[in-house]
Amino acid sequence: MRRLGSWRLVEYSSTAIEVAGSVAAGIAVGGAILALLGYDPVKGLSLLILGGFRDVDYLLSRATFIMMTGLSFAIPMLAGFFNIGAEGMMYLGGLVALVVAVYTGNAAVALVLGSLAGAALGLLIAALKVFRGVNEVITAIMLNWTLHYVVIYLVTARFYDPLAPHESVKVPKGARLGVMDVAGGRLHVIFLVSLAAVALAYYLLYFTRLGYEIRVSGLSPKSAKYAGISPRRAVLNSMALGGLFAGLSGALNVLGFMYYIDNLLTSMAGMGFDGIGVALMGRNNPLGIAFSSVFFSMLILGGQTMQIVMNAPKEVADTLSGIIVIALSLPYAYRMLVSYLRTRRLVRGD
Amino acid sequence: MGRGGGEAVVMKDVVKVYPDGTVALRGVSLRVRSGEIHGLLGENGAGKTTLMRILYGEIRPSRGEVKVFGRRVSFKGPWDAIREGICMVYQHFSLVPSFTVLENLTLSMSSIRRASASEVAERAREIMERTGLKVPLSEAVESLAVGVQQRVEILKALMRDARILILDEPTSVLTPVEVRELFNTLRRLKELGITVILITHKLREVKEVTDTVTVLRRGRVAGVVRTPDVSEAELAKMMVGREVVLKVSRRPRKPGGAVLEVRDLWVRGERGVMAVKGVTLSVREGEILGIAGVQGNGQRELAEALAGLRRVEKGRVLLMGRDITNRPPSEIYMMGLAYIPDSRSVGLIMELNLVNNSILTRLKRFLGRGSRVLWGRALSFTNRVVKEFNVVVESVRTPVRYLSGGNQQKVMVGREVASGPKVIVASEPTHGLDVGATEYIRNLLVRLRDEGRAVVLISTDLDEILQLSDRVAVMYEGRVMAVGRPEEFTLERLGLLMGGVSA
Repeated sequence: MRRLGSWRLVEYSSTAIEVAGSVAAGIAVGGAILALLGYDPVKGLSLLILGGFRDVDYLLSRATFIMMTGLSFAIPMLAGFFNIGAEGMMYLGGLVALVVAVYTGNAAVALVLGSLAGAALGLLIAALKVFRGVNEVITAIMLNWTLHYVVIYLVTARFYDPLAPHESVKVPKGARLGVMDVAGGRLHVIFLVSLAAVALAYYLLYFTRLGYEIRVSGLSPKSAKYAGISPRRAVLNSMALGGLFAGLSGALNVLGFMYYIDNLLTSMAGMGFDGIGVALMGRNNPLGIAFSSVFFSMLILGGQTMQIVMNAPKEVADTLSGIIVIALSLPYAYRMLVSYLRTRRLVRGD
Repeated sequence: MGRGGGEAVVMKDVVKVYPDGTVALRGVSLRVRSGEIHGLLGENGAGKTTLMRILYGEIRPSRGEVKVFGRRVSFKGPWDAIREGICMVYQHFSLVPSFTVLENLTLSMSSIRRASASEVAERAREIMERTGLKVPLSEAVESLAVGVQQRVEILKALMRDARILILDEPTSVLTPVEVRELFNTLRRLKELGITVILITHKLREVKEVTDTVTVLRRGRVAGVVRTPDVSEAELAKMMVGREVVLKVSRRPRKPGGAVLEVRDLWVRGERGVMAVKGVTLSVREGEILGIAGVQGNGQRELAEALAGLRRVEKGRVLLMGRDITNRPPSEIYMMGLAYIPDSRSVGLIMELNLVNNSILTRLKRFLGRGSRVLWGRALSFTNRVVKEFNVVVESVRTPVRYLSGGNQQKVMVGREVASGPKVIVASEPTHGLDVGATEYIRNLLVRLRDEGRAVVLISTDLDEILQLSDRVAVMYEGRVMAVGRPEEFTLERLGLLMGGVSA
């Protein structure tokens, strides 16, 4: 066993204190709100935290999508770029995957093209910023809404299912990612795909030139330039990757879970934004994100259980989850914001 | 409170110790008579700007007292100083680029009292009339020349009823014609009874425009003189004269052939104006070429152009006979040139560990198939650097942020040196280091020279330049004023050359 060096002690103990403090603060504030509203805080919190485990397969499947949108936020953030466009990338990825699956009947091709569509959208947002100085938050949010309605239009007017007009045509049986039996239970294959994607993201970030350049550019654009690394290229690469994973999220949603897109996008809406919370809780690290996505999914499903069992309004459950997520993300989000603001100036003033 | 003859500013025994322990001022006294142009002369780090920031209320002195027009003051911030009629114009202007001149003036007035744009415009015209300071009110600041922007800053100060105007190195960004105009303006302000304090390191300017000069050296007053009574040479001596602190043993060595040649190099600076203006130099094997000069005279731009970090507008750079002009930095580093930047926060990524940092500048050497980073190879290289350069660290997995400044410098320098470059461009390699680390780095540079490598040493520390260099080049405003053996330069002559006077 090697001795813990002083810096390790500093790093680890501060992280431990941070997480413990956040959880305690989240539970305390959440419990207080519950009590204030006249609900039993102990019962409410235990339902919130444990309620999701009644259906583990569902819990993990829901985690799949936000795990991918979490990566979609985290990777550009490591390069110092704020990607709030995972929502639109996910819709696009889902739509492309659906259309490709319907026409080719091949799940792999649909998965790849859906992801690439997301990557292309990510590149577009990054390119507008890097080459034209267009604020990425504005571009991304506008594209989110544009795609929201474009996809709704296409699902309603072009690719609708004549038998159920509020749904799109179904993914053909041969192009679906299925469900397998594991240790007496079931598990959607997409969860395994998403774990593979996390492993890939981890490898790219920490074991390749691409990832090294992204991390260096995000931490210190000045150093990157000194070393001959282009922070702009790093941003473009990071957004291509971010888009790829968000696109994959949409593709997995359509090919492996819903098998269609509904005309209100209820199966996807909001998951792009949830990815931000997931990424922050997971400290922008793919391995952390694998865990935090499951945790986040747990809160969402637990909140639903709480609504049903305690007859509490949705807003109460959402507030509780929100407080816990914010408490867990806040310290990291703050540090990140500071370094993001520092980076931004340098990427533009090239 | 008299205008003429009285004392506008009296600062007595001012001491400033920064929280990190740096002593910037060691008991400085300053007297500025009302209505004069007072020069504050000194090298980098002499304490000029610190002293003026204290007068302007931006930082507070650790000890000492400040009197303005005979009244003892203790400013909590610049707003207090402005209320007393003190205004400061920085090298970097504080104007909103996309606003018009009038909008900028209105903005600055609004922090004092409410005034409508038309009132501001009227007042601005009246002041322009009185002082001869011409500025187009309705144009956007970003479309104006730097010299005009500076006039806007001065006008801004006058609008606030400035009675004492502090200018920090105002000519560093100006063309010669703009400098002449600025000086005319300053003389007119003097006629109007406004006291001007001019921070500068340029001897000619001091002689040309000031009435009295206070010379600072390493946080102390080296002399106070009436300008007509001194020569530029005497000022230069006051500015740089000092005792040698460290000794480095250096044996004579016969240099080999030229490995780095710079021919008529022109490079633009941050503001788009030429910062390097036709520099020609050559550095030979086994030689240290020292580049002396006051900070901001094109040294950084020169170094960055050599490393490929800044575009060369004109001229050529040859590394061992091969043209490396405007090649990408990663390529130049691989070809055998190493650049040690003047800031550790550029050369190192503080949040990353030693292993991650050790591959920064020569990433290609640590890549396997599919651009995979060979961390094993990186680790053994890092261990080599740590061992060879005596880096004190518990583990190579430690983020460099946790290392002392000296050890950080060893990591940065060690990384560059261990990669076996032929030419090393080192910019302020001992800046901010303690005596032990300074000695180590200086001896290392000499050892590299003895091994037959070529070293370009850029430093504002004259001791360092004179002790280490086989040849010395002095830069002033982007040009090389003189090149020669260190014996050919007395401190006085160096001071004159650094101040822009041919000697």
